[in-house]
Amino acid sequence: MAVTLPPGLPREALRKDAARNGLTRSRAAGRILRTATAAALAVWFVLPLVPLGLWVFADRWSYPAPLPQHWGLENVDSALSRGAATGFAGSLALGLAVSALATPLGVLAARSLAFHPSRWSALFSALLFAPLALPAFVTVFGLNVLLVRLQVPSSAGVVLVLTAYALPYTTYVMRLAFGAHDLGFEEEACTLGATRGQVFLRVQLPLIAPALARAAFLAFLVGWSDYLVTVLIGGGSLVTVPLLVASAAAGTGNDGIVAVLSLIALAPPLALLLFAGMTGRRRPGARP
Amino acid sequence: MRQGLVVQGLSKSFKGAPHPALEEFSLSLAPGSCTAVLGPSGSGKSTLLRTVAGLEIPDRGSVLLDGQDLATVRPERRGMAMVFQRPLLFPHLNVLDNVAFAARIRGVPRRRARADAESFLELVQMQGTGRRAVTGLSGGQQQRVAIARGLAARPAVLLLDEPFSALDPELRSAMHELLSHVREQLNPMVLMVTHDRDEASAVADQLALISEGTLLQHSSVEAMYTRPVSLQVSRLMGGTNEVPGTIRGGVHYSALGAHALPADHPWAEGPATLLIRPERIIVLEDHNPGLPAVITRIRARGPRRLMTVEAAGVTLNAEETTCPHPAPGDTVRLQLPTSALAAVAPQPTAETSALISPTPKVPA
Amino acid sequence: MFLPETEVLITRSRPKPRVPGALLAVPAIVIVAFVVVGGSAMVTAQSLGLMPLVGRPELSTAAYTAHGGDLLVGGGLSLAIAGTSTLLACLIGFMAALIMMQGRWCGKLVAAMSSLSIPLPHIVGAAATGLLLADSGLLARVFGTAERWPPLVGGPWWAAVIFEYAWKESAFVGLVLAGTLATRSVDYEETAALLGAGRLGRLRHVLLPLSLPALMTSGTIAFIYSFGSYEVAWLLGRPYPEPLPVMALRLYNSVTLTSRPEAAAVAVVTAAVSLCAVLMALAFLRKIPLWR
Repeated sequence: MAVTLPPGLPREALRKDAARNGLTRSRAAGRILRTATAAALAVWFVLPLVPLGLWVFADRWSYPAPLPQHWGLENVDSALSRGAATGFAGSLALGLAVSALATPLGVLAARSLAFHPSRWSALFSALLFAPLALPAFVTVFGLNVLLVRLQVPSSAGVVLVLTAYALPYTTYVMRLAFGAHDLGFEEEACTLGATRGQVFLRVQLPLIAPALARAAFLAFLVGWSDYLVTVLIGGGSLVTVPLLVASAAAGTGNDGIVAVLSLIALAPPLALLLFAGMTGRRRPGARP
Repeated sequence: MRQGLVVQGLSKSFKGAPHPALEEFSLSLAPGSCTAVLGPSGSGKSTLLRTVAGLEIPDRGSVLLDGQDLATVRPERRGMAMVFQRPLLFPHLNVLDNVAFAARIRGVPRRRARADAESFLELVQMQGTGRRAVTGLSGGQQQRVAIARGLAARPAVLLLDEPFSALDPELRSAMHELLSHVREQLNPMVLMVTHDRDEASAVADQLALISEGTLLQHSSVEAMYTRPVSLQVSRLMGGTNEVPGTIRGGVHYSALGAHALPADHPWAEGPATLLIRPERIIVLEDHNPGLPAVITRIRARGPRRLMTVEAAGVTLNAEETTCPHPAPGDTVRLQLPTSALAAVAPQPTAETSALISPTPKVPA
Repeated sequence: MFLPETEVLITRSRPKPRVPGALLAVPAIVIVAFVVVGGSAMVTAQSLGLMPLVGRPELSTAAYTAHGGDLLVGGGLSLAIAGTSTLLACLIGFMAALIMMQGRWCGKLVAAMSSLSIPLPHIVGAAATGLLLADSGLLARVFGTAERWPPLVGGPWWAAVIFEYAWKESAFVGLVLAGTLATRSVDYEETAALLGAGRLGRLRHVLLPLSLPALMTSGTIAFIYSFGSYEVAWLLGRPYPEPLPVMALRLYNSVTLTSRPEAAAVAVVTAAVSLCAVLMALAFLRKIPLWR
């Protein structure tokens, strides 16, 4: 199933520091109000993650106790015995496969839309963004019959459907990047004597690299966080972390295991995000 | 009671900038006057405007409007409309509603606000465009609408932040015409910043020259050109002729001989550099009276010619000549009219000459 | 000769590529068309009895009328859940975007916290919501109100489901809005302030209209997602009445012969409502002059 993803992360957008601006200068009351709102919002965004963090280390946490009675790592062992490692590998493979397909195809589609407008462009963009308007289970109900008749392996079917659901995001991100991209740079490089290959490697690629990374990350997330498509088309042949989370959460008394599996689902994208945030900050030329 | 706008000792520095954006900057504007703050990029002139508008909070100093200190007055209550280099017309409103914005904010009924806006569109010669989307206008038209929008707010001071520098030259002179038309009609107090001294001289009656956040000179346009207070001002205003010498009894003595200075000014005795603008030097054919000089170089500047001449070992630049076909090597005569002469303290120290050299752009 | 600017741009030709540029989109189009067009065509055919598992294909609307009452109730329930959570997400997201735009430490904090929930799969969000809001969850433990704890998970008001959608989608809406606002809103806000607009005036006359297209777009995406999403309602909801996706999945997995077309019929209804929502959003966006 598709996820809703923002096209960009705010760090890049918030370049202008408004802190010392005369407009945002606040009276005491305004400052208190704003700080309170910010604190409430921060709590809102982070609150559901708190029980996860506690349950991961709770070897024993019986009902009315507000905090775990026994701390430890038993839940990690239980999660591993339920196939957490296999699930992790499956999720990783799925995310990477979707990203590897949807990113280059999105780049090509965005280039077509940005630089080669034709009478097909409107139809192309309507089609490319259609997955956002169509719940995944609808298409999967129909495709299942088709994929079985065409004898497509179930894992390939999962990758195919998720690629279609990742394409709106990669196309959109790259379309924005190409929209801000000045063909003059490429022409300048040509006049300076660069060959087509050199223009691609030394001019185009560095210019679109940040957007490319963002598109690849979003496509990865589509594969990484999918549940429904993997269940319906994979039919159990492909085990991913969301599947394990679902089966553990549907049972009772698995709270600790659910927490460990959830953390496994959260850790890699978060690590990527932090890594991108830190390297992105260091490169002065990196502009969205 | 209208007393105009007074800026007193404004100072403002930004984190990470090599020098303060404003340093003890003081200036006063009479009601109905148009003052242009002139300075190179990064000289702090935009910061000055933003501080006056209340968009920046100064580290020290105050802004007074008609005697009232504006320190605690929020930007939206200061009665100052600003037109930026980019027109910044609200994209979600059409042309007419952009101009009517200030009235609508104040709660004026839509119909009246629009009728009022229509008259301001007329003032900037954009009548009949009210229904159009702002994205459909050209750059010059957008800037006209932005000016109309600012004026429709009935500001006590109209602030213009390089409003014409993105326009091409013909459009720019049309906008200068428009601004003088507006001044005739409404007589607002205008504070404008620009880096273009021709533009400043064309629209303003008072000039304030700023460099590195410091006010160098505030005077009429005429005086800025003919009576610079320092070598730095002279150079920033495009003066290139500097003759070292000494003043004794109102007369400047140098390699060029004795030149009486204008009598309407008390000239300080002692070492002084004689200044004369290139366009004020009269170059005559050899048989005329005057300083003998030799043309060393001629550069074409469109319809004009810029000549470099050497007289008594002093190199001078001149623009006008009555010689029919001047050529390098020709001997000519120079006349330096007394009314065109000025003198300032001699060669600045190393520190001040560094100020004139191009400086890196700082956030302003 | 004087050419208008656009013509100059076009005539400034580049070396002719081997493949016409517009065709670059074809690989992506093929995949999406296969999934979207193929999928919806097949599911529609199934729902109309044209692809039975056994027996002769026969055009009928029986699958639509078999659970007519449940279909209506489920549709209403799905609309209510998706509508409420989208409304909450837009409100909270807009507020978060305003705080993020201030750019001080609290803005950075809110931005960081909201991007934390973006990479989280919805099923994990649902599991975490369960651990937080269930009657044995963290909040019930902390406030020690065992018996009086309202049935948020599996209760009649679908509170946990709405909470999960609102939580995830508010981060999405907030980040999208912050991205669109941050690039230009400061300049427009300054201009508005100098024209006399106070804080509320700027919010009402500048920030809200400027963010309306992005708010509508991200809100529509969030609405369609929560309308057609299965796992959250399945994990945190109650057995009856069922939202459309849960109903569709139950029928799809059931063993009776008629259930496949019935599942397909529910899917078609879900898709039709989603499409209506998109068309309404587009019609609304078209009226906004800001929308290209």
